[in-house]
Amino acid sequence: MSARGAAAERNSGMKKTTEKRKNREKEEQQQEEEELPMFDKNADKVGHLDDTDEEKEDLSDSEESVFSGLEDSGTDDDDDEEDDGDDDDDDDGDDASGEEEEEQDEENHNKVEKDPAAGETSLTPQTEDKPAKSRKLKKKKSVTSGGDEEEERGKSERDSGLKISSQVDEYEQDTSDEEDIRNTVGNIPMEWYKDFPHIGYDLDGKKIFKPIRSKDELDEFLEKMENPDYWRTVQDKMTGSDVRLSDEQVDLVHRLQHGKFGDINFNEYEPAIDFFSNEVMIHPVTNRPEDKRSFIPSLIEKEKVGKLVHAIKMGWIKPRRPKDSAPLYYDLWAKEDPNSILGRHKMHVPAPKIRLPGHEESYNPPPEYLLTEEERLTWEQQDPEERKLSLLPQKFPSLRAVPAFTRFIHERFERCLDLYLCPRQRKMRVNVNPEDLIPKLPKPKDLHPFPTTQSLVYRGHSSLVRSISVAPGGQWLVSGSDDGTVRFWEVATARCLKTVEVGGAVKSVAWSPNPAVCLVAISHGNTVVLMNPGLGDRLILSATDQLISSYEEPTEVKDQPVEWSLAEGTEHQQGQRLILTHPRAVKQVTWHGKGDYLACVMPDVSSNVQVVIHQVSKRRTQNPFRKNKGMVQCVSFHPIRPYFFVATQRHVRVYNLIKQELTKKLMTNCKWVSSMAIHPGGDNVICGSYDCRLAWFDLDLSTKPYKMLRHHKKALRGVAYHRQYPLFASGSDDGSVIVCHGMVYNDLLQNPLIVPVKVLKGHTITHDLGVLDVAFHPTQPWVFSSGADGTVRLFT
Amino acid sequence: MSQLQARFFTEYKKFAIDDVPFSIPAASEVKDLSNVINKLLEFKIADHKHVEFDFLVRGQFLRTSLANHMETENISTEEVVEIEYVQKFTAPQPEECIMHDDWISSVEADSEWILTGSYDKTARIWSLEGKAVMTVAGHTDVVKDVAWVKRDGLSSLLLTASLDQTVLLWEWNSERNKVKARHCCRGHAGSVDTIAVDPTRTKVLVFYLSVPTEEEDEVEEPNRPRKKQKTEQMGLTRTPLMTLSGHGEAVSSVLWTDAEELCSASWDHTIRLWDAETGVQKSMLTGSKVFNCISYSPLCRRLASGSTDRHVRLWDPRSKDGSLVLLSLTSHTGWVTAVRWSLSNNHQLVSGSFDNVVKLWDIRSCKAPLYDLAAHEDRVMCADWTESGLILSGGADNKLYTYKYGTCVSDAGA
Repeated sequence: MSARGAAAERNSGMKKTTEKRKNREKEEQQQEEEELPMFDKNADKVGHLDDTDEEKEDLSDSEESVFSGLEDSGTDDDDDEEDDGDDDDDDDGDDASGEEEEEQDEENHNKVEKDPAAGETSLTPQTEDKPAKSRKLKKKKSVTSGGDEEEERGKSERDSGLKISSQVDEYEQDTSDEEDIRNTVGNIPMEWYKDFPHIGYDLDGKKIFKPIRSKDELDEFLEKMENPDYWRTVQDKMTGSDVRLSDEQVDLVHRLQHGKFGDINFNEYEPAIDFFSNEVMIHPVTNRPEDKRSFIPSLIEKEKVGKLVHAIKMGWIKPRRPKDSAPLYYDLWAKEDPNSILGRHKMHVPAPKIRLPGHEESYNPPPEYLLTEEERLTWEQQDPEERKLSLLPQKFPSLRAVPAFTRFIHERFERCLDLYLCPRQRKMRVNVNPEDLIPKLPKPKDLHPFPTTQSLVYRGHSSLVRSISVAPGGQWLVSGSDDGTVRFWEVATARCLKTVEVGGAVKSVAWSPNPAVCLVAISHGNTVVLMNPGLGDRLILSATDQLISSYEEPTEVKDQPVEWSLAEGTEHQQGQRLILTHPRAVKQVTWHGKGDYLACVMPDVSSNVQVVIHQVSKRRTQNPFRKNKGMVQCVSFHPIRPYFFVATQRHVRVYNLIKQELTKKLMTNCKWVSSMAIHPGGDNVICGSYDCRLAWFDLDLSTKPYKMLRHHKKALRGVAYHRQYPLFASGSDDGSVIVCHGMVYNDLLQNPLIVPVKVLKGHTITHDLGVLDVAFHPTQPWVFSSGADGTVRLFT
Repeated sequence: MSQLQARFFTEYKKFAIDDVPFSIPAASEVKDLSNVINKLLEFKIADHKHVEFDFLVRGQFLRTSLANHMETENISTEEVVEIEYVQKFTAPQPEECIMHDDWISSVEADSEWILTGSYDKTARIWSLEGKAVMTVAGHTDVVKDVAWVKRDGLSSLLLTASLDQTVLLWEWNSERNKVKARHCCRGHAGSVDTIAVDPTRTKVLVFYLSVPTEEEDEVEEPNRPRKKQKTEQMGLTRTPLMTLSGHGEAVSSVLWTDAEELCSASWDHTIRLWDAETGVQKSMLTGSKVFNCISYSPLCRRLASGSTDRHVRLWDPRSKDGSLVLLSLTSHTGWVTAVRWSLSNNHQLVSGSFDNVVKLWDIRSCKAPLYDLAAHEDRVMCADWTESGLILSGGADNKLYTYKYGTCVSDAGA
């Protein structure tokens, strides 16, 4: 009712409108109430049926309603009258009020005399709901007690008296507890007390007796005749006492019988107030809690529920699955490749840090940052990209004086252009620890022995020493120099034991590997001299001389490209034994492992005769190649098998001398091969080249280099293998000899192990030439090197 | 810690002081200690002259301050330190410089004469004063080694070995100054690099003349068995009595350790000990580098070897198996080509090297040599030490230097 109150407050002056509103609402409610309680009606009807059967005390639902009595009054007139009389007797405390009521009733009686018939005939009020009725009743009571003047204008003087008395008894009359006091049994069917003289008990545990009804038909009739209020007396079922209806009650009954509203003041045609208008009210229009009645279970629903329960029990309906509690959202990246996300993270390129502005950018830089006139001129002349500073430092007396930056837009544009044009593609840089790329090689100190220090210097030559060779025993060393001499050295003491003038720059010397003979091949100019140095065992020396002198001239003289001649005179005294005159300058001589064959190289692009092989014992010369395959740099015999290695500028060809065919052609990947050495095992070859590279070939592996070593800074001049130790050395124009550990395994699956172990320096560079030749000692891990400074050095 | 408890003692009676511990400053060095001893001696002996002393702490020469030395040697400073003192070895005094015509390959001196072999194919005899006495010419090639065999009054026997694969036995009469080739020993198939003479030459002198002399020489002929040559006294040419083969490469040095045993060093990184009677190898010491020279001291029974890796190593030849290097003396920078033990002092040896320096070592201070004799201008190729304390060294600068070194021979503990 707060809404109503609020409305009243708001329209304080307009009482009529509020009343109208009230009435209207009431009307609406009534309509609602009439429609909604379907079962109620039925129940009432059932109750009525019962009533009709049992005739008396058939109050099915009614607890305290006056109207239920009223209804009955129509049917059971006798009881009512009896009640009335009893009522008067029993209620002593209420006597005064009871009497007053009676008086009132009597007064009203005249007015509403005809009404009972109408009331009896029209049963419509029966259907009206009790709460509404009771409410109205209360209201009416309040109206009566409150003293509505308009209503009682036309009433008698007694009315005014009643008014006074009613004022006195206000509380007794009006308390809702009153009815409860009379009826302590509660809401139970009253027929249960039909056979008892009492109804319930009072607080003291004494029986509350029913008013005595001993009236018979005669009494009844007399009462009817005598009592003017008989028609308005009804029996209260609850207490069994008679109640005389007041005038208002009678009036109300009449009004209801006529189909009017119970409240006199209610104007059903009040003007409509548009509650639900656009006007904003501070309180809600309605805040009434739901009627309890609306919760009365519906049978249809019950039936439906029953069916559903049955269906669920039978398994026809499956209970709902529990809902996922996880929040639902749209996963934008659900279908994206996780790698691409990673990639995106990887793609993040942090912006380069911008240098903080320095003093030169200041508006008032220190004077040393200001450019002088010359500097300014050079700055202006420079290309913008070459400038060290991107701006000219300028000095202003105050920040206020700094002009606007004229190139602002230009610069912004350029910046945007930079951002726009900047390549979005990321250049993937392989992030590898450089140390991981270095192959795991054993440490050089684990690979001892190898030469580490310079021990001896063999001094004596006055010009660059082109070639050196060590005697197979390792006691002697021969060196050939551009000063036209060949010197023989004692290895252990660096003593020059013999010097032989050959009359021309010596290009190559080679000691015969055959220990049974003592021969040294020396090439100078067009000639190759075979010399007996006279060092070592006398027996061998004499055997060598004998071998040369025992040669018998064959009967058939073959046409040979080389002229063989015996040395005579002083040359013989010097030790020279045989002199081979070649058509061209001989660059290199090399012996076959057995010491009988000797190969000479006469490099010439235009000639077919670049390589000749001599057989010393038979003094024969062969030209193994018919065709010119390029300028021959050096040749070498295979240490074991009948193979012959020929190095041209870029390739090394391997020939089979017996089958007379090309076996292999090694691609050196070098521009110009300078030197070559064959591993004593015969399966590995190293080539030094003028482009600072050393190529190691594994003949079993491929024709391409197994390893390229680029340790030298300048052209390589000589390479050599050690005969016993896994060592090889290379001499270069940078004056250094690099010794490498080169282990070749018997296991074919294992590749050679190559570890550079030592850089040996000692030779001084003269005329841009450093080391010209290297040779290993045959038994010790010692390496000899000859240099352009005219010395031979021994590293041990 | 500034003070140390030290007790001084010496084996030399003349300089003995009271056996009382002294408290000396820890930072004191050799000179300070020497002053202390001299002061004490002055109190004891009235006419004491100042003598420089050297100090040994647990057999090691003191070279730094006492505290430093003890720290490096891990000697406890809590106890009383026993310090031995000896008269300081004076530096060898250069005596003579004898010029040759060519490189000096070998030198051997006895009490009167010096015998040198030279690359000019001759051997020469010099007096100790450096006077040329005799030139022994006969070889056709470089003389590699020389040796005195015996002295019998005025006549002496000497041996020369040469690159021409022969060893010549000469008889030299010092009075008449005549030299006569007695025998020529052949048998080598290479140059003869080294010879050694049996120590019995002095003991059984008579025996020597009547019975074949025992000489031993080695061939430098790689890949060939090494040979031992014994000459017999028949005819001019003698052939080997016995050949000891086993070395894989050139033999660089041989010597007799005693009458029954000989020792050879080779380029094949081994030192082998042989039984002289049977010619059987007794034991082998293996090194890691080529051996250039060896020397044996009967006093301390140690072998000293010089090799191509600039170390002088001391070996115990009696250790049967493996190579037991007792000490490495490292100071040279080139190949060590000559080592020679002192004949009178069991702690000292001399070494010559291709780095032009002759070094005098005391094995009690192995960290640094006692003295460097840097007179040569070229490689040192040979060195010798006489009983009289004369150190000789010859080299590729054609000079033979002699040094007088013997002031403290008497005080040495030998």
